[in-house]
Amino acid sequence: MRYYVRKLGFYLVALWAALTLNFFIPRMMPGNPVDALLGKLQQRGGQIGPEVRESYEVLLGTNDGEPLWNQYFSYLGNLFRGDLGVATSAFPAEVTDVIGQSLPWTIGLVGIATLLSFVLGVVLGAVVGWRRGSWLDSLVPATTVLSAVPYFWLALIFVLVFSSNLGWFPLNLGYDVALPTGWNWEFISSVIEHGTLPALTIVVSSVGGWLLGMRNMMVSTISEDYILTAQAKGLRDRRIMTRYAARNAVLPSVAGFAISLGFVVSGSIVTEQVFSYPGIGSQLLQAVQNSDYALMQGIFLVITLAVLGANLVVDLLYGAIDPRTRVEN
Amino acid sequence: MSLHARWRRARAAAIGTVTIGLLATGCGGSSGGSSTDPDTLIVYTGLAGQWQRNYNPYSPESIEGIGSIYEPLFFFNIARQDEPTSRLGTEFAWNDDGTELAITLREGVTWSDGEAFDAEDVAFTFDMIRDTPAFNSFGFDGSTEVVDANNVLVSFEEPSYMDAPQLLGKTYVVPEHIWSGIEEPETDIMADPIGTGPFRLGNFEPQAFTLEANPDYWDGEPDLKNVRYVALSGNQAGADALAAGEIDWQTGPVPDIANFERNHEGYKSITIPMNQMVLATCSNVELGCEGPQTDPAVRHAIFHAMDRDVLNSLAFQDTASEISPGFALPERDAAYVSAQLENRVANGSADTAQSEEILEAAGYQRGSDGIYAKDGVKLELSVRVVTGWTDYITAVNTMAEQLNEAGIKLNVNQASWNETTDARNSGNFQLAIDSLYPGASPDPYYVYYQFFHSQSTKPVGESANPNWARYANDEVDEALEELSQLDPDAGQDVRQPFYDTIQANIEQDMPYIPILVGGTTSQFNSGKFTGWPTDVNLYAFPAVWSRPDQSQIFANLKPAGE
Repeated sequence: MRYYVRKLGFYLVALWAALTLNFFIPRMMPGNPVDALLGKLQQRGGQIGPEVRESYEVLLGTNDGEPLWNQYFSYLGNLFRGDLGVATSAFPAEVTDVIGQSLPWTIGLVGIATLLSFVLGVVLGAVVGWRRGSWLDSLVPATTVLSAVPYFWLALIFVLVFSSNLGWFPLNLGYDVALPTGWNWEFISSVIEHGTLPALTIVVSSVGGWLLGMRNMMVSTISEDYILTAQAKGLRDRRIMTRYAARNAVLPSVAGFAISLGFVVSGSIVTEQVFSYPGIGSQLLQAVQNSDYALMQGIFLVITLAVLGANLVVDLLYGAIDPRTRVEN
Repeated sequence: MSLHARWRRARAAAIGTVTIGLLATGCGGSSGGSSTDPDTLIVYTGLAGQWQRNYNPYSPESIEGIGSIYEPLFFFNIARQDEPTSRLGTEFAWNDDGTELAITLREGVTWSDGEAFDAEDVAFTFDMIRDTPAFNSFGFDGSTEVVDANNVLVSFEEPSYMDAPQLLGKTYVVPEHIWSGIEEPETDIMADPIGTGPFRLGNFEPQAFTLEANPDYWDGEPDLKNVRYVALSGNQAGADALAAGEIDWQTGPVPDIANFERNHEGYKSITIPMNQMVLATCSNVELGCEGPQTDPAVRHAIFHAMDRDVLNSLAFQDTASEISPGFALPERDAAYVSAQLENRVANGSADTAQSEEILEAAGYQRGSDGIYAKDGVKLELSVRVVTGWTDYITAVNTMAEQLNEAGIKLNVNQASWNETTDARNSGNFQLAIDSLYPGASPDPYYVYYQFFHSQSTKPVGESANPNWARYANDEVDEALEELSQLDPDAGQDVRQPFYDTIQANIEQDMPYIPILVGGTTSQFNSGKFTGWPTDVNLYAFPAVWSRPDQSQIFANLKPAGE
């Protein structure tokens, strides 16, 4: 029990630290939301006199001279009430609405891609590790090279080949915007069609890491005595590979997977940028470019909670599935 | 910072990376993208990210509706010297001293919910602007009087001729019967906008929304039935979608602009010179500027040492055009360009000899490293530019080489947009590459008022927007005051002497060193629709993000099949 209490206490402190950093870091950035808004107005051909600046400071309340500490405490207070404030880059929309609009797309795309990549990497890794020294070993350098290629480059090449040249996949957006949205097959299939290529690029570029880790753990597990015992007992190879070797070798990968699930919500800024995918990563980029502190804080908050939450779940689960971690020396 | 420039820049930024993706452009290539139908115009505004529903024409984050759903009284064409086009107003006239503006309104107009439009709506809109600080972007302080159902009289304390383009052309009339019930118009998103315009809001989704033709429009239902606004991630995605034929109109970067029309069947490209690219200098010692650029001789030397022809082809794909040191646009404002200027337009190729002569006359001596120095201080300047805006970066890097020839050392300082803008607004810079954007009507007065009037500036350390050069000159201020008291229709011979004074002064002081006039490039699908603006019939500024210009163009388009 003490194990769990200590863990929970640690996570509470980590959460507070993250929230505090979350408040101060955006405020250290140069620039302010009023300038970003003025930029948008100019872009519409508005005449920008000194009056405009003042009127926008009034509108956004950025010039009220409230001391930073007061802002900090009201920020913490608002967080507890679930009030993340108004997104100045989408004024007057609430931060919660902006995030709510993008989060499902990101979780759907990046979540499924991460899961696929993990399953594929672990299964392949187990097989490759089991048959070490065979031709299958060449899968390791092949997938690592794909992981090492800068992601934006890989994604651009995929767009060029599969969308622009071959026309197999749509170029951009999350679905065919000419269709009405709804839970019907036409719309859902359009979502799947639009998500396939971005998901593919994520899988291709990340599967190598899982594969390499799993394969190496397999190799060291195979040299354990209990594998030898199992073989001496005359068990079938396949049973030894899955029940004895892979089951033990997968432990570190499970931990890694849980952590990467936490990062799913932060989306993949580059993926969303290249494919014009409507997720949280592109919202974050917009928020930074527009000095939209409230939205930045909101997104960071969601990311922080997801990462901490995923870590907590792994920590607790790990105590259960691997009793060795619970023992105190 | 002008977003005009910002997007042009982002455009160029894209080109670098896009070239890869865009090798595809030449090959054409189709895609299993959106299903298109022949009377739907698909546009991309260049804005990155998804749509957040907001159809309040006065909200800074309004996504559409200006001109298309809500209409101004008149349309002022900033692309050429036109008379204002009638929209909801049919006539306007000033009294003799410019303190009363009489406006006659169109009869028989209805709001899209069926209510009749009349002078009460116009008076309500004007009063709301005056009483809502967040909406009052031009300091409107007039009072309104409804004369009868079709006539409104606006009175001012002082002559206010120069407010007319904003009041008549950039103020969008809203229905009193709806807006009078709104408590906080600043924060209302007008989810279901009611206007008089040629279009109404159709379907809205964060990734795309549609405007539908208004069947009851006073000028008849537009031929263009639907306009779909899609949300893409930026200029690269825009260029890709254009290459695949998925969008019909965008304003922004495309690689290989010279061969665009050959590579994109059915599409046309048009480039309009509008934003004047300059090296802004922190020029005013009295307001706290420091550095060699506070010496006008240095600014003039830089002006002459630039090779603009080379800059144009290396950095701007030859889409830029010549600039006048008096900052009247050489084409559009040809009649305003002063005969008293030393140089009517800036030199195309470098005039290093002239540059050297100016520096030597000002007491600079060339050091052993070829760089000029005065009183032991080397002539070394830093120029600020935004990271990723590749055309500006190429321009300043090329300039650095050109100026080096002339004995001036230029250090390029790249930083994020936020940081660069902050430095520029607060005066914490020596040189910064930027653009002077146009005003509400085709009259150089607005550029002068915004960028050269001492009222538009602040001391270093405070935010000056937009007179970043901290320029203050009593003669210029006075001439601008005089101009604002004159009826713009009074005739060129009455107004021109003031323009001459302003231009002579700003050429001599050169707080902004002219580079070139940047071209705004738009691409559109002329195979699918006809009626686009052309070089000979430039009835509106053809940038898809320019409002209300876009509505003039929407109303003029016809599906090509009909």
